[in-house]
Amino acid sequence: MESDGPLVKVRKVEASYNPVQDEDLDQFGKELSELTIVDVDVHVDDTLMFMLDYMEGHFRKRLETVLQADFKGEPGNSLRNMIAHIAWLGSSYDKPPRAKLAAKEDLLARMEKGIIDYSILFPSELLPIGYLPEPEWAASLAKAYNQYMVDAYQNTKGVKIAIVVAPQHPASAAEEIDRHASHPDVVSVCLPDVGVNPPIGDEKYEPIYAAAARHSLPISFHGIEALIHDNYPLRVAHFHTLMQVNSMGFPFTSMLQIMSVVCAGIPVRFPNLKFAVLEAGLTWMPFIMYRLDAAYLRYRTELPALEKKPSEYIRDWYIGTHELEALPRRGDLVKLIELYQGQDTTMWASDWPHLERDLIAGFMRYEMDETLRRKILGENALEFFGLTPPK
Amino acid sequence: MTQKMQPDTRSRSQRKVPIMPAVDFPHGARVEVQVGRVHIAVFNINGEYFALYGRCPHQSAPLSRGRLQGTVICSEETCWETKWVHDGEVLVCPGHGMEYHVRSGKAFGYDLKLRTYEVVVEEGQVTLVL
Repeated sequence: MESDGPLVKVRKVEASYNPVQDEDLDQFGKELSELTIVDVDVHVDDTLMFMLDYMEGHFRKRLETVLQADFKGEPGNSLRNMIAHIAWLGSSYDKPPRAKLAAKEDLLARMEKGIIDYSILFPSELLPIGYLPEPEWAASLAKAYNQYMVDAYQNTKGVKIAIVVAPQHPASAAEEIDRHASHPDVVSVCLPDVGVNPPIGDEKYEPIYAAAARHSLPISFHGIEALIHDNYPLRVAHFHTLMQVNSMGFPFTSMLQIMSVVCAGIPVRFPNLKFAVLEAGLTWMPFIMYRLDAAYLRYRTELPALEKKPSEYIRDWYIGTHELEALPRRGDLVKLIELYQGQDTTMWASDWPHLERDLIAGFMRYEMDETLRRKILGENALEFFGLTPPK
Repeated sequence: MTQKMQPDTRSRSQRKVPIMPAVDFPHGARVEVQVGRVHIAVFNINGEYFALYGRCPHQSAPLSRGRLQGTVICSEETCWETKWVHDGEVLVCPGHGMEYHVRSGKAFGYDLKLRTYEVVVEEGQVTLVL
């Protein structure tokens, strides 16, 4: 090493499918440790086998049958793989890093870095639950998942849980909300928005919103990638590559569901209910807000319950940054947020440890003032989930 | 970020940074070299050394940890047939799967090229030329 040059460090390394699961936090460790950081979309290993002990009656036998099957996916016996990736198996030649399932120890190791103050756990395995055609089976899985998650992750410092409900069984969904809402570690109810038919603003789902409003438990819509489902725009019939499905599926579903909820007047009927949308990116927000406003001029009489423009309801919705679009200029994210008026509603989300997770550098590369950065990295999420400021 | 890394037209003296003895850096091995604030990924593929800028411009994942494999191309050259090419020479970013040809630093499917660095073996030492 030359004495007058910069410091040189040499390190032998290994190729890896998943080397950056949480190393990315170290890069900004000092800078971030001063701030409140809430990662509002975190996933742990919640594959079906964990739910077996929580299933009852004939559905327990059924889950045993499912667990004996080998679906050749990763992980085996995965509900997601049964109805998601199999159609496009191998299409990307295994190039995107594999979605490593995070065990509880992995989550704790990430939290112990002292950078992230809160991780909000959302389901993985049950995200496609809205797609299941049998309401009782779906409700049974949701009930088992919620109790498993509470038993496994309650009283874990900085870890909070979003319970999941089966939208196709609104009565059972309301019961689940009643059962768990007062638990101090349950901070949201996740409504999986994919495959749900009719759209999620339908009168049918009123008991779910009523229960959440009764307990002031915020609702989070969380999308999922490709499912084999011919009900566009909920799904995929018109695309023949996974990339197209993945790119359009999340935002299209989110736009559909937001439109459905707002046009049904649910924010008017339940004014204290808070909503968030996760895993759909951000760039479509201005589109749906102002497109609806334009149509509202002509069709307001179809929506007599609304007391103001659709965008004035939607701007109150919270939104997770993942999967953060790669905007070309460093000042673009601020401009986008200004367009949808999201300074107080945008929340940083990584989707850790899924394969499309965002590294924090993807957010930090955008220029913004420190006040806005603090809000997005943590303060807005404290508000949405009702969390105690940690520092 | 990458533009700053392209000083090809600027004249300046070359700086040589010894990495490690060649015997310790066999085929299949890779190292990450940090020079000041710059990370460089160095690979030995079948006895040939390749060095590239070590952080993916997308979200800064460490390219030194990426797998090396081939990829598919479809162009006029292949008569618009999809073909598997460059087996073992395509560096796949461990973050989200962006692909780079280790020989040129060029990203497949993007108008983007990572800076590459010359690697020489001098007196048994694998040495980066900056």
